[in-house]
Amino acid sequence: MSRIISLDDLRQIAADFIRAGGLAVAPVPFDNDRVFFQYIDEEGAGKIVLSGWLKAANTIKDFFFPRHEKLFSYERIHNDVVLADAPEFGKPQLLFGCRPCEAASLPILDKVFGWDYQDRFYQSRRRMTTVVTVACHKSDDDCFCSSVGGSPENTEGSDAILYNLADGTFEVRPVTERGEQLFEGKTSESTKTGKACPPPPVRFDASKCKTWMDGHFDSPFWNEHALRCVGCGACTYLCPTCHCFDIVDEGSYAKGNRVKNWDFCQSALFTLHASGHNPRPDQGARQRQRLMHKFSIYPDKFGKILCTGCGNCTRHCPTVLGVKPFLEAIEEQED
Amino acid sequence: MEYQEYQLRETAAKLLEEEKANVVIGYGLSKTGKVVPVFITRPEDAQKLVWNSECHQNLVVFLTRPEVKRLGKPAIVVKPCDARAIVVLANESQIMRHEVYVIGMVCEGVNEDQGRPSSRCAICYGHYPQNVDQVIGEAEDAPKDLSKEERRKTGKYQRIEEIKALPPDERLAYWKREFSRCVRCYACRQSCPLCYCNRCVADKNRPARIPTSASLQGNFAWNILRAFHLAGRCVSCGACSAACPAGIDLNLINLTLANAAEEQFDHLSGTKVGALPLIGTFSESDKEDFIR
Ligand code: SF4
Ligand code: SF4
Ligand code: SF4
Ligand code: SF4
Repeated sequence: MSRIISLDDLRQIAADFIRAGGLAVAPVPFDNDRVFFQYIDEEGAGKIVLSGWLKAANTIKDFFFPRHEKLFSYERIHNDVVLADAPEFGKPQLLFGCRPCEAASLPILDKVFGWDYQDRFYQSRRRMTTVVTVACHKSDDDCFCSSVGGSPENTEGSDAILYNLADGTFEVRPVTERGEQLFEGKTSESTKTGKACPPPPVRFDASKCKTWMDGHFDSPFWNEHALRCVGCGACTYLCPTCHCFDIVDEGSYAKGNRVKNWDFCQSALFTLHASGHNPRPDQGARQRQRLMHKFSIYPDKFGKILCTGCGNCTRHCPTVLGVKPFLEAIEEQED
Repeated sequence: MEYQEYQLRETAAKLLEEEKANVVIGYGLSKTGKVVPVFITRPEDAQKLVWNSECHQNLVVFLTRPEVKRLGKPAIVVKPCDARAIVVLANESQIMRHEVYVIGMVCEGVNEDQGRPSSRCAICYGHYPQNVDQVIGEAEDAPKDLSKEERRKTGKYQRIEEIKALPPDERLAYWKREFSRCVRCYACRQSCPLCYCNRCVADKNRPARIPTSASLQGNFAWNILRAFHLAGRCVSCGACSAACPAGIDLNLINLTLANAAEEQFDHLSGTKVGALPLIGTFSESDKEDFIR
């Protein structure tokens, strides 16, 4: 026996969640056929689309680690500086309809934001959020979850996973207690069971790639393969696991905010020293950094790959680069 | 197109063999069959070059990238709209024109964004490449160019008129909806052949000239600033719009300014070798008298 729910009832769950004072994030169509994860209102719940698209044009990390977040405000009063902490994220949040390769980024980010420093900004959002994933019905050329230990029905990071039964209903499989609670009394029994698409072919051997990278830090390989990279932030900002940020003050001498903004390692400025020296002087060095952070440095430290194989970095790259072409090329290296 | 591709490969191999170029910047295929920029340095690899309707990227952006410069004297494959960017780069002293061998393709239009015809091609300024060193393709195969009047009534220009006709609050709402999706990835800037500054004003954060934050205010400041830096310079190649992961049609803004430059000053960027930059020049015959 399985448990099923209609799309309308799913939308109703989101609407009820908002009515009860929570925030709901869900995929909503925009023009140009793009789907975006967005905060929706009760009415917007009717626009949630859970099929017909593979990947959204933004990432779910924006709702845990926003692209722009205030840390505190400052104000000079006479000769004193008065600081006021940004309030803690205090509302329950429902994240609806992400893919398994997006939800799987959350346990990965948990490690970074809860390791030596406990990042209360990330952690409060994470604590307050229920994640409902939809198993994939298809994969594309850029997907490679199966090469990094994931799958089209991976439940890591999810509180519940849905399977599209393609008749206007979804099979519900709660993963955690929180997921169970969300769907309690909302599903009906059925004999139908859902199925995810077959996993995309394994495209490279991640541990072999790690060994090669560790031994080829100075290889000309990096610059040769990075030539078509234009050094933008599309790959990192669309990556659910990239987590670098910059801290800047915005405002005047008299008052303003200290804010945390996303930053990207593919920019030449990312490592530029005040002296003018740049330890990552070219795009090859910058791409090597991104690849090694994901497939060597983070795994050494946390025992996991810093990549879920979502393929966003290739899919959204203006020159179709991202990590996958590098790893496939490394796989083909002979020495 | 197939014959053009054949001619292109022959041309590239010959340039490399005769050492007239050390690298040919052109289009090739990724492992998954997508068209991507390639950098051909050996004559035998010239066979990897492709020319088809998916070649939408503007490769001129690579002429100023240090990693590409290191490869030596470049030859580059351009479409007619891209070729205009080379003229601007030379006019602005960013490249020595004689040090680049420019291969201009007669262009029937390209696709972008999930295989749909690019909206910039509907208002193409000319399908036959100008100011290039060699043309590949026949003039008679090129689609007929639109007259200025016809162009004004087509595609993006129409869209611009529609947006301009909106009441101010609706126009603002439109751009808010667009810019709120901007993540400040700068894929637009990095893909633009004319955004070549080593340090963009948007990157200055001590003190910040414009907010570096991807907040609505910061995003308005960024996108408007970029548009103004391209006023009278943008060649409408559409590289920024194609690169934007958020699907913001930046071309609409840049085209509005390009249009103003054309209407008010008879200045069409990248069509005149040696033209002085519109914003950076002073003329006593200017219409506005504050300048005198
Ligand atoms: S790999 Fe692609 S998305 Fe990433 S910085 Fe380079 S050009 Fe931009
Ligand atoms: S590196 Fe690329 S494939 Fe891996 S998680 Fe990030 S965006 Fe997805
Ligand atoms: S605008 Fe004209 S020259 Fe440029 S790609 Fe389109 S058809 Fe070709
Ligand atoms: S490419 Fe798009 S999202 Fe990125 S900075 Fe430019 S306008 Fe913003």
